[in-house]
Amino acid sequence: MNLQEYIDLVFTDYTLRTITLGTAVLGAICGMLGSFAVLRKQSLLGDAISHAALPGIAIAFLLIGTKNSSVFLLGALISGLIGTFWIRGIIKNTHLKSDTALGLILSLFFGFGMLLLTYIQKLPNANQAGLESYLFGQAATLLESDVWLMVVVTSISLCILLLFWKELKLLLFDADYTKTLGFNTRFLDILITSFIVIAIVLGLQTVGVVLMSAMLLAPAAAARQWTNSLSIMVILAAIFGALSGVVGTAISASYNNLSTGPVIVLVAGVFVLFSFIFSPGRGLLFREIRFRKNRNDLQLHKTLSFMYNIAKTHEDITHPHAIKILNNFQGFTRKSLQKLEDKDYIKVEGTMWSMTKSGYQAAANLYNQLTNNEDE
Amino acid sequence: MSNAQIEIQLIASLVAMACAIPGTFLVLRKMALITDAISHSILPGIVIGFFITHDLSSPLLIIMAAASGVLTVVLVEFIQKTGLVKEDTAIGLVFPALFSIGIILIAQNANDVHLDIDAVLLGELAFAPFDRLIMHEIDLGPKSLWIIGSILILTLVLLFAFFKELKVSTFDAGLASSLGLSPVVMHYGLMTVSSITTVGAFDAVGAILVIALMIAPAATAYLLTNNLKKMLLLAVLFGVCSAISGYWVAHALDTSISGSMTTVLGSVFLLVYLFAPDKGLFSVLYRHKQQRIEVSLLTFLLHLGNHQEEEERHVKHLNEHINWQKVRSKSVLDLALKNNMITIEKDIVSLTNKGKKFTSEAIDYIVTNKNSEIENMKDRFFLFRG
Repeated sequence: MNLQEYIDLVFTDYTLRTITLGTAVLGAICGMLGSFAVLRKQSLLGDAISHAALPGIAIAFLLIGTKNSSVFLLGALISGLIGTFWIRGIIKNTHLKSDTALGLILSLFFGFGMLLLTYIQKLPNANQAGLESYLFGQAATLLESDVWLMVVVTSISLCILLLFWKELKLLLFDADYTKTLGFNTRFLDILITSFIVIAIVLGLQTVGVVLMSAMLLAPAAAARQWTNSLSIMVILAAIFGALSGVVGTAISASYNNLSTGPVIVLVAGVFVLFSFIFSPGRGLLFREIRFRKNRNDLQLHKTLSFMYNIAKTHEDITHPHAIKILNNFQGFTRKSLQKLEDKDYIKVEGTMWSMTKSGYQAAANLYNQLTNNEDE
Repeated sequence: MSNAQIEIQLIASLVAMACAIPGTFLVLRKMALITDAISHSILPGIVIGFFITHDLSSPLLIIMAAASGVLTVVLVEFIQKTGLVKEDTAIGLVFPALFSIGIILIAQNANDVHLDIDAVLLGELAFAPFDRLIMHEIDLGPKSLWIIGSILILTLVLLFAFFKELKVSTFDAGLASSLGLSPVVMHYGLMTVSSITTVGAFDAVGAILVIALMIAPAATAYLLTNNLKKMLLLAVLFGVCSAISGYWVAHALDTSISGSMTTVLGSVFLLVYLFAPDKGLFSVLYRHKQQRIEVSLLTFLLHLGNHQEEEERHVKHLNEHINWQKVRSKSVLDLALKNNMITIEKDIVSLTNKGKKFTSEAIDYIVTNKNSEIENMKDRFFLFRG
């Protein structure tokens, strides 16, 4: 199947269109809200919440006895929020640290959820099949109504974000200052945390409990590498998230036996890897290049100042010297001499080198700058 | 109790003990979440090991899984060192990626791999007694009992051999390295032991319960004591008790053993979290309230000391002047009366000699401001606490 056919299929096939749209919207909202989670250093809160949502789903099923994804979402939301606030309580009231609190809530809620799920499986109720799809997610079970729900929630959270943009941004970077300005930080905190919980709960059906945290983190972590501005980061993260949704769905649809959730997570992972390496400002590749360049420049300057010290002792600064006398100074190579010559700092003739006027000037300036800096 | 039941409880208790020991150190070192990462990311190691040997009980699986656990730690630290993202983000990026690879590998080869993803997350403790170690046609007991038993012995040997070093490097890494103990070696040693324990326990109880068994007993014990040895003992005790009672809960409800063990662990933690004598929620809240009233009392006494005029010392006046609610002023007044610090005559409050002494010492305290002293002072003066 080539790309053209696949695109045609996306527009004609109901299931594929729904899944593609659903994962794209999910990726966008996760990227958007995930940016806040990453910047607030709450990256793993997503992991804890997505696990903590499981008992909510199970209890919702026990109460209503049928499968109904909006009731499940409500149950997941409630138990996710309980988990979040319990984590807060543990961190605030005891000396247990945040990592312990997160790990505790994650495993204890999930274990309780599994207890309920296995209990449900033993019930004589034909409707219970498929609850496990919340563990790993099954994008194929997405319906058009689910996608609409996602779109509605995304637009609401977008409106809230825009409405409280200034306050949230301030809270993100300087919580104490926000408080002194008279904003209700607790309200803002609860607002943004609740929306993060909502995004996670929305994704459970598609990518599942275990991988949901990556959906939240990966697009934001990738976007962070390209910009230092919050608004651009949020937009970029939304785009990365949507793209990983679309591409992940495409890949898993074109092969057999590939579940959508893990593929989307891996695609998002590739985005992160690419950003880590190739982003111009912070990326590892360009950082390494900058290091090398600085090191070479330093080497060149050292050679130049060494030559300057030799040339200084002669009346005629362009007096030629043998390259050999540079030998007890280790910082030069044939290549660096060539570079110096290219810059018109020295002239090399055979085995002799001589400093040019401009080279002498540059080296003198270098030396001045150095001493000036030391004086300061 | 049948033979299988005893064996299951034995395995569960051994797993709980083996997990509680490294778990205690992880909680103290603020690295509890690394167990979460390890328990998920050993999946690709297990799957690849299975592809090589085609035998689920081969020791190579454990080695591969432990290697991928250590690989996770190394990757997380590498990403963290680049400074591109924070540590927790690094953890959150690494393990879902590795876990996804594991799931995809399983799904791609669903026909040859006899590995169920549910079993990976939950474990099959109920089936553990059926997989027996048979040597020279003698039945030596369940395989997982042997595996987790040897891991536990290894952990115990390492714990006793390096207890001092672990203790120092956990609480003061700087001191440890100046004493010539490498914190790096301790760190990776602990990580390796945690990985091996996770893998060994994973087989029996699944990925999630491993996290619970590592963190929950240690966290519960940490709320009860500040002594490392006591904490280790308590953690082991909590782990084993929850494991055994969890088994019976599962037996009664006919549910997953690992799920009910986690639930019991959770309930124990909740109880301790609420009722622990010193650090529990209720005692913390009670202490907050007590201190708030005592601070109010101090403010009130200082106010009395500063004013000789009668209208400033009128009971009714206090409400308006210091701006307290009625209930609060009443409880402050009661407390002061009970402690013989004030006398009330015709609604005029005056300080007793004891009250005056307390006030002047309190002012000294506030001026010199040594934190620990005020509690001693309160002990000396107060007959009743707030």
